[in-house]
Amino acid sequence: MAEHTKKVYLQPIPVRIWHWLNALGIVTLAVSGAQIRFPEYITLLGSYKSAIYLHNTAGFVVALSFTLWFFYYVFIARSMANIYVPKAEDLKTGLLRQAKFYFLTYFLGWENPHHPTPKNKFNPMQKSAYLAIMFVLMPLVSLTGIFLTNVEPLRGVIVMMGGLKILMSVHFLLACCLIAFLPTHVYLTTLGRTPMEHIKTMWTGWEDEIDVAEEDEGRVALH
Amino acid sequence: MNRSYPDKVLLVAFLWALLLAPCPLMAMESEDCLMCHGDADMVSGSLVIEPRTFDTTAHAILGCVVCHDAIGDDHPGGSTKTSRATCLDCHDSLGHEYQMTTHAAYASCGDCHNPHEARGMKEMAGYDMNTKCVQCHESQMMVEIHKEWLPQADLHIAKLPCITCHTGSQRYEIVLNIVAKENDRIFSRYELPDYQTLKEVSDGRDILSLIDTSGDDFISIKELRHFNLNPEYKELRLEGTLVPSDVSHQLSTLDNRYDCTFCHVSGPQSLQTSFLAIPKQDGGYRRVAVEQGAVLDAVYGTPDFYMIGTTRSASMNIIGLLIISGGLVMPVGHGLLRFLTRKNRQH
Repeated sequence: MAEHTKKVYLQPIPVRIWHWLNALGIVTLAVSGAQIRFPEYITLLGSYKSAIYLHNTAGFVVALSFTLWFFYYVFIARSMANIYVPKAEDLKTGLLRQAKFYFLTYFLGWENPHHPTPKNKFNPMQKSAYLAIMFVLMPLVSLTGIFLTNVEPLRGVIVMMGGLKILMSVHFLLACCLIAFLPTHVYLTTLGRTPMEHIKTMWTGWEDEIDVAEEDEGRVALH
Repeated sequence: MNRSYPDKVLLVAFLWALLLAPCPLMAMESEDCLMCHGDADMVSGSLVIEPRTFDTTAHAILGCVVCHDAIGDDHPGGSTKTSRATCLDCHDSLGHEYQMTTHAAYASCGDCHNPHEARGMKEMAGYDMNTKCVQCHESQMMVEIHKEWLPQADLHIAKLPCITCHTGSQRYEIVLNIVAKENDRIFSRYELPDYQTLKEVSDGRDILSLIDTSGDDFISIKELRHFNLNPEYKELRLEGTLVPSDVSHQLSTLDNRYDCTFCHVSGPQSLQTSFLAIPKQDGGYRRVAVEQGAVLDAVYGTPDFYMIGTTRSASMNIIGLLIISGGLVMPVGHGLLRFLTRKNRQH
């Protein structure tokens, strides 16, 4: 371990609350969604009606929490573009450098080239992935879900979009993409210096950082 | 209509008796009656019989005098009241079934079924089955009542005939209808068009030819897809509903209808079978068989008919499974290499 270890306050409380609320919501949505689609095989949540009510409630909570998250980053933290949108440099060299780490140098025992700071939390690959998830998948899956819970009043719009089956298929396939992201997401959190390091950070907010060269304006506590 | 065997024997005997009896009444044809009763200028109120509608009913085959067998010689003048058969004379099984319901205290047969207009179930579009129910049970109020326990009550009330759940019929079947855009507005609603409207869309040809391009009186999934993707028919769509397979007048809700999975589960044979209801000139409908599994087609077979848990597409399930499996590549593949190279990271 390096001599100068410092702690960085990486995940503020609103972000952590949002993250764990979302985690619970998305797992609930996945399980209840599976029961709604395959009722003859999955009866984990009791009756079909309770699965539907739970799915609708969890969907509403996640959509609301997504909206709060969006407004928090855009208007309160004002760091949405900085954190989530890859910069030109990220795309030109960052992506390749990070991919090289994940798929080659990590196995050789090299350090992660990215050091998270409150203003630059994500590496270029994370930025690209979260950009797709948070700006494309999540809004679309929420929107299609809202349409599906209001089929009768929104019939005209649904027809214009191509019909109920297209809407249903889009909702289902987007949900599958988000479910596919879960194992990758959980696995990548274990790639810190210890398997639990990143997970603890999302719980406590603080992350150990060893590179003192990368000073940041964020709250830093040497110890 | 369901009639028991003794009923049929009685009915046939009655018809023969009428046929053989040298009664001046028998000389009377329905046409004779309709000369006056089919003309609103000559009679009024409930005495007016719309001849074209009456002709489509099963009662028209019997003729007026079977039910109105005692007509005074001085008809239409004089004091002799024209006799009327009661519904139970023929429909005694259904009638007794109905008399056991709470409805019987509030409505007699004629309050829902005008004998001069009544059609068999297979001659109805499906959506039109509710026209009688809403005379007493206002739709919005029904939505409010059903909302207490039924998810998407507004959708269920709008899309299903009441008797699909409020029935003694255990089985149901799918009926598809051609619906047309109400007006030119983008979000315009789609309504059941009448015969004339669809006749104009099909340029005077048989309405069925809009979908049944091969002309074999059978709708294949390929023909359904072609219809749904045809830009010429973008003002038309196919809607579907579930109707009971058997006629029943037991109007209480079957217990199993409270279990969502009675309908929302894959597999029942009834979901493989569907029919297309084509409007006829006389205001009724005829049913045309549709290829098995049409509503289970992934997207374009019936793009507006989807029942969660029931009409899921197998091909979509496979794509979904492949996507989710893709999410395991990183943990499994990377994890394996990580395990094999773990010594490199022991600083």
